[in-house]
Amino acid sequence: MLCDICKKNEATIHIKEIHDGKVKSTNLCASCAAEKEKNGGLDALGFNLGEMLLNLGSLAAGKTEAAAIEPDSGKTVPVPAAVLPPCPVCGWTVEKIGQSGGRLGCPACYKAFTPLINEVLTRVQRGLVHIGKRPRNAAGGDVAVLTFEVGEAKRELQEHISREEYELAAVCRDRIRQLQARLDESRQGGGENGQH
Amino acid sequence: MDSIDKLMRSPVSFLADAGPDEDIAISSRIRLARNLAGRPFPDAASDEVLHEICDKVGAAASESGALGCPGCFSFVPELMGELDREILFERRLASRDFLNRKCGTRLLVRSDESSSIMVNEEDHLRMQTLKPGFQLKAVWEAINQLDDELSNRLEYAFDEKLGYLTSCPTNVGTGMRASVMLHLPGLVLSGLIGATIQGVNKLNLAVRGISGEGSDNRGNLFQISNQSTLGQSEMQIIDRLESVIVQIIEHEKLSRRKLLERDKYGFFDWVGRSYGILRYSYKLTGEEALNALSGLRTGVDLHMFTKVNVRMVNELFRSIAPAHLQKQAGRELSPVERDITRATLCREKLAGR
Ligand SMILES: [Zn+2]
Ligand SMILES: [Zn+2]
Repeated sequence: MLCDICKKNEATIHIKEIHDGKVKSTNLCASCAAEKEKNGGLDALGFNLGEMLLNLGSLAAGKTEAAAIEPDSGKTVPVPAAVLPPCPVCGWTVEKIGQSGGRLGCPACYKAFTPLINEVLTRVQRGLVHIGKRPRNAAGGDVAVLTFEVGEAKRELQEHISREEYELAAVCRDRIRQLQARLDESRQGGGENGQH
Repeated sequence: MDSIDKLMRSPVSFLADAGPDEDIAISSRIRLARNLAGRPFPDAASDEVLHEICDKVGAAASESGALGCPGCFSFVPELMGELDREILFERRLASRDFLNRKCGTRLLVRSDESSSIMVNEEDHLRMQTLKPGFQLKAVWEAINQLDDELSNRLEYAFDEKLGYLTSCPTNVGTGMRASVMLHLPGLVLSGLIGATIQGVNKLNLAVRGISGEGSDNRGNLFQISNQSTLGQSEMQIIDRLESVIVQIIEHEKLSRRKLLERDKYGFFDWVGRSYGILRYSYKLTGEEALNALSGLRTGVDLHMFTKVNVRMVNELFRSIAPAHLQKQAGRELSPVERDITRATLCREKLAGR
């Protein structure tokens, strides 16, 4: 098997990762692996995001064949029907994003380039939906924050139970009850004073 | 604008305080990427917008008392001299990308350097919190609070599905990168570091060696961090990272024990020679010094010295860096002069002066 980077030497280092249940393998020769180690760390995920976006962008523009994009897995990449227009807010194009190393122009770019972004996220992230913290002033405000806090507290409760820390679990259970009460209150529209 | 000299004179919490597992874990760090809603990301923003963002974030920090502001340090890197900017880099308060920007940057730093915010790096806000030793949960509590204080005054770019929107999709979601700096001489000396790194990579975590003066050497320091930011909550990411680091620390302890069993005098010799190099050299390259400091730190962990402690070693790790040496000397130094100054500093420190 040839090295994924230089495509010349025999690959001796094989890295397998699991993403959303799918196995992705990277095969490198010793010198490319060492080179990778020197440049910005040994992350097996090392890739050029800008290049990836450009490839995906030219795919969208019909310039590249689908086979060139996903050679090893044979996965079919969805081909957007037309060339993606620039972001209506900042004016950045797919090409510009590619040139800036995969950085976007503004928050609205996430909407403007959704098909590309989803493709990138599928490759680099462990999921496609945020389940973490929310800002206090986000849309949905208190309900969202409290829902998150209840979720976290429940997770903590499970942890205490599995470690047989029953006193801490009891404290945690009380907190969940309080948070849940506040959440119910916020849901009924009394969200104004639900923050603290 | 504050002066670098004042920053260098104030006590640094992560160097002065003790932390859990500090024999192997040097520090725990979390950074959060945040952007303001309705504004282009820094790469696409005009100078005017960049300055407006600096002002907004500065005001939010002052009003909320985040970072101890207005008692915090506020730097404008693009107006600073090169040496002073290097100091910020060596103290890990600023990234190269940030310092290379020509306009509209601001750096806010808590006086003990435990928390800081880069304004207009790749994202509008890059905040970080740092604590000594291995304590990611405590770091998360601190940065979560800092983030809350700011978000009460700033409207963040946030999407119901994608979470915090960042300039680069590799950071979207939590916008969080959590990392722990580990000192792993045992794994390096027993040749197990490669396998360890591969194992960690398989778990989708990143390992970075900490390089010295542009050279390949790392003083056996490695930083382990999460790679993905979307699809898991902050606590899930931290839990996973923690469980892996617990194992690495165990492996490091085991390989140190094995090295001692197998070749006790060889191991002691390495530590002793490291001490000798630092104590008696008159010319020390950055690479040599980092390697020797790694040996010295290991000796401290083995209780081989009475007058050297972890904090002294951590401080030396920092003060032997090129910009710090030059700042200390009060002038620019040639590479040879740096090596001489570095050796002098180490000699005097170990002589207890
Ligand atoms: Zn190769
Ligand atoms: Zn845009």
